[in-house]
Amino acid sequence: MPEVKPVLQLVSALPFFEESALPNAPLDLQLMPGECAVIETADTARTTAFAELCSGMTPLRQGEARFMGYDWTGLDRERAAALRGRIGRIHHKGAWISMLGTHVNIMLAQLHHTREPETSIARSATELAQALGLPGLPLVRPDRLSEGDLMRAACVRAFLGAPQLLLLESAINPERPELTAPLLDLLSRALDRGAAAVCFTRDVPFWQAQSFPVTHRLHLMDDGLKPMLSV
Amino acid sequence: MSRLSPILPALAAVGRGTRARVSFPLMLAASSLGVLQEAVRPISWRRTVRHEFKLTMRQATGGGLATIMVTASLAGVGMVYEALYWLGVAGQAQLTGSILVTVLVRELTPLLVGLILLGRSGMLTVTELGTLQSGGQIRAMLAQGIDPFLLLILPRTLAFALSSLTLGIIFAATALVFGFIVSGAIGTVQDSLWTFLDRVLSAMTTRDYMVIPAKLLVIGYLVGLSCCLTGLSAEEEDDLSSLMPRGFVRGILAVMIASIFFTLTA
Repeated sequence: MPEVKPVLQLVSALPFFEESALPNAPLDLQLMPGECAVIETADTARTTAFAELCSGMTPLRQGEARFMGYDWTGLDRERAAALRGRIGRIHHKGAWISMLGTHVNIMLAQLHHTREPETSIARSATELAQALGLPGLPLVRPDRLSEGDLMRAACVRAFLGAPQLLLLESAINPERPELTAPLLDLLSRALDRGAAAVCFTRDVPFWQAQSFPVTHRLHLMDDGLKPMLSV
Repeated sequence: MSRLSPILPALAAVGRGTRARVSFPLMLAASSLGVLQEAVRPISWRRTVRHEFKLTMRQATGGGLATIMVTASLAGVGMVYEALYWLGVAGQAQLTGSILVTVLVRELTPLLVGLILLGRSGMLTVTELGTLQSGGQIRAMLAQGIDPFLLLILPRTLAFALSSLTLGIIFAATALVFGFIVSGAIGTVQDSLWTFLDRVLSAMTTRDYMVIPAKLLVIGYLVGLSCCLTGLSAEEEDDLSSLMPRGFVRGILAVMIASIFFTLTA
């Protein structure tokens, strides 16, 4: 039976303090396929920095950050880029390429990394868009969409292409209750097929109320990742 | 060491200034090589890169066509008519072909095409990429595993080079034909258009057939690359009022240096 590797593994990962908004403390986290971590942090810059650490975009002073068994620091540029194509992320700040239509923005990573026919990618994206409450794939530019629709589009982009790791920055929160159920449904299906997820939140009670099977409940504090003692 | 201490800040200031001045030419040289290396690798030409190449070709060539034809017509009237008239008056009509090839086709065409490409498409690239960079969208691309060098710099630089060659050929042909038509209408020449074009083509040497396309390609390449790098090196505090002049000056320098280099060496 093949050995199951962790999807994400942070081993005493310590970024350069001056180059990152992360705390000056080693970070440890291991997510196996199907596991979901909820990390509570109020600082959005810290959330983004942690997501970038998981994506191998932050240089480390010590320790390791591994994705699907690969140490980010040992990968060349092409392999690292290809692996990042396996990560679905909802950014805290939209991160939309303003000169492209929303549909191209959504499909860009899949068009770039895979050889799947464009019609097939568009079909999958449309199905996801409809599952999240959009009438179809939005064709207008991102700045023409309302904040709610843009968030839905961001969710479509994150879940498109069956990513192995999901990094959801403040996607599930009480400000958008209408998105919670479809998003948790998609998340649940992603975990079932073997993906792992890191969900960042500022509202722990809201997460607790969802009765969603969470493997790790953590605080991102000044002295590193600490388990939530209240849960 | 202690004796050097008083002058260290001055030396640091000189070094800082020097590094700031040479950093862009060095980046341009390194990226030039990078584009050529990536261009020959089939894996670089993913569909997103091919799409960006087509878009840039359409924008730079299709969009600049009308401007090129109008400018070429004016240059043709100015140069071809004047050359035909004054050389005819001086009894040196046999020199018409070589003078037009040297001045119009080899020198003026690449220069004007480079300037038009810079103003019409290069500035657009500076604006677009500068906005992406300062808005954090390039970082978002990297997070998706999309290399901006592959997606933006490679296709745009090569599209600018190819566009420059295409527009240069159209410019030269339009200037010659329109200049001849105007000259014929005024009554300066009695020859047919074919005789005139044959005279021009006969004046072209083998070296001209190599140097002129090379000059056009290099000018387009450098305009595209310098505009892409200017946009992508934008800082957070940069806005259009600081990026556009910087991009324009760098583009002009690239056009002039390439033009002078070919004039002196070829």
